[in-house]
Amino acid sequence: MSQRFRLPSGGHVDRSQRLGFSFDGRRYEGHAGDTLASALLANGVRLVGRSFKYHRPRGIFSAGIEEPNALVELRDGARREPNTRATVAELFDGLSATSQNHRGSLGFDWMAVNGLLAPFIGAGFYYKTFMWPAAFWERVYEPMIRKAAGLGRASGLPDPDHYEAAHAHCDVLVVGAGAAGLAAARAAGAAGARVILAEQDFLLGGDLLNEAEHDAWRSETIAALEAMPEVTVMPRTMVFGAYDQGVLGAIERVADHLPEPPPHTPRQRYWTIRATAVVLATGAHERLIAFPGNDRPGVMLAGAARTYARRYGVRAGETAALFATHDAAYDAAFALAEAGTRIAAIIDPRTDSAAMQRAREAGLAVRAGSVVNGTVGGKALRGVEIGTVGSASRGDAVPADLLMISGGWNPAVHLASMSGAALRWDDALLAFVPEEREESAWQRSAGACRGVHGFGAAAADGAAAGRAAAVAAGFDAADIPLPDAPSADHRPYALWEVKGGGKAFVDIQDDVTADDIRLAHREGFSHIEHAKRYTTHAMGTDQGKVGGLVGAAVLAEARGEPVASVGLPRFRPYTAPIAWGAMAGGEVGRHFQPVRRTALHGVHDELGAVWMDAGIWKRPAYYPKAGDTDGWASVKREARAVRERVGVCDVSTLGKIVVEGPDAATFLDRVYANTFSTLAVGRARYGLMLREDGIVFDDGTTTRLGPDRFFVTTTTAQAGPVMQHLEFHLASAWPDLDVSLASVTDQWAAMSIAGPKARDVVAAVVHGLDVSSEAFPFMAVADCKVAGVPARLFRISFSGELAYEIATPAGYATHVWQAVMEAGVPYGIEPYGVEALGLLRIEKGHVAGSEINGQTTALDLGLGRMLKKKGEFIGRVLAQRPGLTDQSRPHLVGLRSVDPARQIRAGSHLLVDGQDCGWISSATQSVVDPGWIGLGLLRDGEARIGSRIIAANPLMGEEVPVTVTSPHGYDAENLRVRT
Amino acid sequence: MSAPEPIHALAFAPRGSLGAAPAAPLRVSFPARDIVQVMLRRGQDAAFAEAMRGAFGMEPPAPGHTATGQDATAIWIQPGQWLLTAPRGVEGALAARATAAFTGFAAVADQSHGRTTILLSGAAAREALSRGCRLDLHPRAFGPGRAASTPIAQIGCLLHQTDATPSFELTVFSTLAEPFLHWLIEATAPLGVDIA
Amino acid sequence: MLRIPCPHCGARDEVEFTYRGDATVTRPAPDAGVDAFHDYLYLRRNPRGWQVEWWQHNGGCRAFLKVLRHTVTHEVRGVATATETLEVPEA
Repeated sequence: MSQRFRLPSGGHVDRSQRLGFSFDGRRYEGHAGDTLASALLANGVRLVGRSFKYHRPRGIFSAGIEEPNALVELRDGARREPNTRATVAELFDGLSATSQNHRGSLGFDWMAVNGLLAPFIGAGFYYKTFMWPAAFWERVYEPMIRKAAGLGRASGLPDPDHYEAAHAHCDVLVVGAGAAGLAAARAAGAAGARVILAEQDFLLGGDLLNEAEHDAWRSETIAALEAMPEVTVMPRTMVFGAYDQGVLGAIERVADHLPEPPPHTPRQRYWTIRATAVVLATGAHERLIAFPGNDRPGVMLAGAARTYARRYGVRAGETAALFATHDAAYDAAFALAEAGTRIAAIIDPRTDSAAMQRAREAGLAVRAGSVVNGTVGGKALRGVEIGTVGSASRGDAVPADLLMISGGWNPAVHLASMSGAALRWDDALLAFVPEEREESAWQRSAGACRGVHGFGAAAADGAAAGRAAAVAAGFDAADIPLPDAPSADHRPYALWEVKGGGKAFVDIQDDVTADDIRLAHREGFSHIEHAKRYTTHAMGTDQGKVGGLVGAAVLAEARGEPVASVGLPRFRPYTAPIAWGAMAGGEVGRHFQPVRRTALHGVHDELGAVWMDAGIWKRPAYYPKAGDTDGWASVKREARAVRERVGVCDVSTLGKIVVEGPDAATFLDRVYANTFSTLAVGRARYGLMLREDGIVFDDGTTTRLGPDRFFVTTTTAQAGPVMQHLEFHLASAWPDLDVSLASVTDQWAAMSIAGPKARDVVAAVVHGLDVSSEAFPFMAVADCKVAGVPARLFRISFSGELAYEIATPAGYATHVWQAVMEAGVPYGIEPYGVEALGLLRIEKGHVAGSEINGQTTALDLGLGRMLKKKGEFIGRVLAQRPGLTDQSRPHLVGLRSVDPARQIRAGSHLLVDGQDCGWISSATQSVVDPGWIGLGLLRDGEARIGSRIIAANPLMGEEVPVTVTSPHGYDAENLRVRT
Repeated sequence: MSAPEPIHALAFAPRGSLGAAPAAPLRVSFPARDIVQVMLRRGQDAAFAEAMRGAFGMEPPAPGHTATGQDATAIWIQPGQWLLTAPRGVEGALAARATAAFTGFAAVADQSHGRTTILLSGAAAREALSRGCRLDLHPRAFGPGRAASTPIAQIGCLLHQTDATPSFELTVFSTLAEPFLHWLIEATAPLGVDIA
Repeated sequence: MLRIPCPHCGARDEVEFTYRGDATVTRPAPDAGVDAFHDYLYLRRNPRGWQVEWWQHNGGCRAFLKVLRHTVTHEVRGVATATETLEVPEA
């Protein structure tokens, strides 16, 4: 029969809307307003999963985010999401869910044999058993453990939905929209503050949703909030963490309650909220009592059973017992009795109380001075065993298919603790509550999350907190109408555990028992943080919300200390599980990181460039042509064009900084290891920068554009760090220097034209400038026009050939490139990419990022003569330390494979007589003298020139004989560059 | 040979209506701008302000603000630095004008090609920007005449509000304009956007 | 995540800043010798408590700022420009 346990009326479900769903392949029906859990209970489904370690049958335990048991796989295919709590999954038509963590059917789980092995697999079992032999870990033990334990299965497919990040600011953030939160938001809103009210549930009201008699206040307050333009109410939004200075994180489940997100709608949104003041109205979580068999399907938190009856109109059982330690829990028995459930017994360790009296007056059987010391049943609860307080003997059993339990309430102090509130033990509530904070504090707690229970009291507390928060954010206090309602007594009798035969769980999700906690203590893991990790107590998705404190109390007893001094493990984000997808947000696929393109990107694309990444830049690696047999053929063809004719290469990615001011030359003398104050206007010079520790930082050419104006270039990779380095020293070391810096990397596109015919090509496109070697020698720079547009011409070379660099405002780059290519046709010009550029510079012996790798000094790189003898510069002093000037340090050398056909690789070790004496930093094939060549750093390198050593690459299983050469084998006199 | 027009960094960006189709979609356009970075010399504050008044008819704006003169807008970008922007004119003319006005008081670097401006306008502009912009753009915290630099979608962005529609000019490094626009399209499409 | 009140830009998220370490050390004079430079570069007090630190607001105004931060609570109590000084509280 459909929805056999649904009440005919009452609650916040819309019985006119029927929603079909399936669980483990069976079809059921629920209503709008249901969660998956309430709909399952309405249909009498009690067994919903198997436990983590022992594979014990488990049922729905709670009605909220604290759920330890009812974790299901939601949806199918690529959208399948494991470990979803049925108690917070909003029902939609067509929802499909599957139970998890069992082999075979849910009813008969082969792994339940673990339950029989239980004496052998207690706490620390993995650590003790799976130790030997070590080789078994990866291949045998770990897969076995993974298969036996663990929770649901990920889909293994790309997530078809998208997620987005979002940022918010407010004067007052209110977390939680129960009585306290609603009142706080209204009070802060009435004061004029910008308010965000975040509620994880899809309905506002919290526990008010269980109190029909107060629904008018709830509706009226919500209406008042909606009428305030500066109040933003965010349902389905869970605040998961509190960070520094009023920053909190939240997940908005935008489309989780829909079969799939509509177009342009993210599945979830990850909010970063910055609040001037925060009111935490996060409520409280009811806690369990540890007694044998407290995990049997049918055992449920009392407040949850009440919620299913009052909010969802669902009886969670036919015959119920209540095991409670305080008066407030009795409302669960009254609610179920009203719903038509037979109340078999109320079991209470106390001798008498007001609620007990009322229950007796209502005709309910109360067993004072009693405890539950066992449960009867298998996959469902059939009965409850009742004993007397303090007695180990088993008492009588009463039949029941629902046992409602309450050991008291734990204020949800997670966010308060994360944001710095100290926790204080409350002897009356037997729980930790946040310390009272100063009136001026930016963060305060209100309502049940600081132990103020009951509708009227919580609303008043919330209003006071909301008002104070608005004042803290700079607004004038405002008053709001408050309800008057009595509060039930939430102070529990101190009963954490009923000892007896059988497993008494303190963490139902992780299968941690009270005995496990005692074992941890006996074995020396007595600190709460150690016991937690040794037993996995409170490490599951519920993070100990229902049993964490119970485990601490068991540990406290074992240590012979009060719970207050044992404490709780540190609270950290996230308060409840959130999806990886939401954390990644929109930064996936092409948005993972931005791609930086030069102004010539389209030109390279049309030429069919093969792209490579240079940081976030895309640069052409090479340009394949018909007839090239492979990538190397293209690279060597391009390099030969440069050596024999002329080539053109996009060098726009180099960092470019204008350094200007009366002290510009002084400044550059201090940041470069060589001198720039002597540089003539219209001339460029190669410069070397050291770090303060004496290691080489970066290199590049710098041009003097005017007496006080320089144009600095950096390597592509170090453009950002060099700018920061310059800014830091201007700010901290030399604030007296009058120098300004402007990054013009994006303003100028640049292309290098290199090869014996470079001058012919340049002369054809440049106007207004004599480019003959006499008029425009090596290292000359001048402004000019190229093909009718403004440009700057540099005569500099990286390839070792006659070369020019044309820089032009980026919008003209394509025009200039095309003009150069056209002018180059008679000379056989070819575009060349970064690979050919690398080949050419290795042949020439120019160092690049592989050699300037953060380990090498100027001496190591053969650039020692560049260090100026007089005057200060960054790195000068520490570069003189003995360890950095040691002659035996690895020194830059050239390398050539003895057998031209045998490849050498960057990263290979250089072995001299079997001793590791250095490494290959860069390797390529030569076009000047075919064969494999490289650059490397070799101990006593200069002394070994001409000798034969071994390049060993254990990863590739290679040992290649190489000859050590001068790194400057190609045109050592620089004749080609200077002619 | 006559000088060709420069190619705008977003010349090949998608155009048209994207995403949801509400009554009042957001509008995105790519106004061509001349942009000059102006960097104050030490102790020349007064002379520089005088030169700014004389040449452009405005005061150098205070941190976080913009100023609009006869034919140009100045945007504060960092201590002692401003961007001077004007509708696209003759190549280099704005930089030449600024250099002539500020020589001795401030350094000038032409950034007309190095920075690209995107104009975002519409009632939902703040909501769209909140998907990547960490700043509080609420009218109580921000407004016309205000400017701020902040990373959006990992890309440094100079954002300044030009009117209460609200409209925002978003200025980014030209080599990152394309990925920035892709982010903006993703942020605006759920709200509906026309790209002109 | 820290929120750092930039004196030019207002409170901004930590991601807009780059940390640059202890702001109380000063670069020695050029002739101060190896030991002085060694201390300047490598020796840090690493206090449990208040520390004046360099943070560059490179995602915003690019200014190098001095930030007085508590290394345990992460409280930021003062921010100054590079040429200003910040007093370090006792505790």
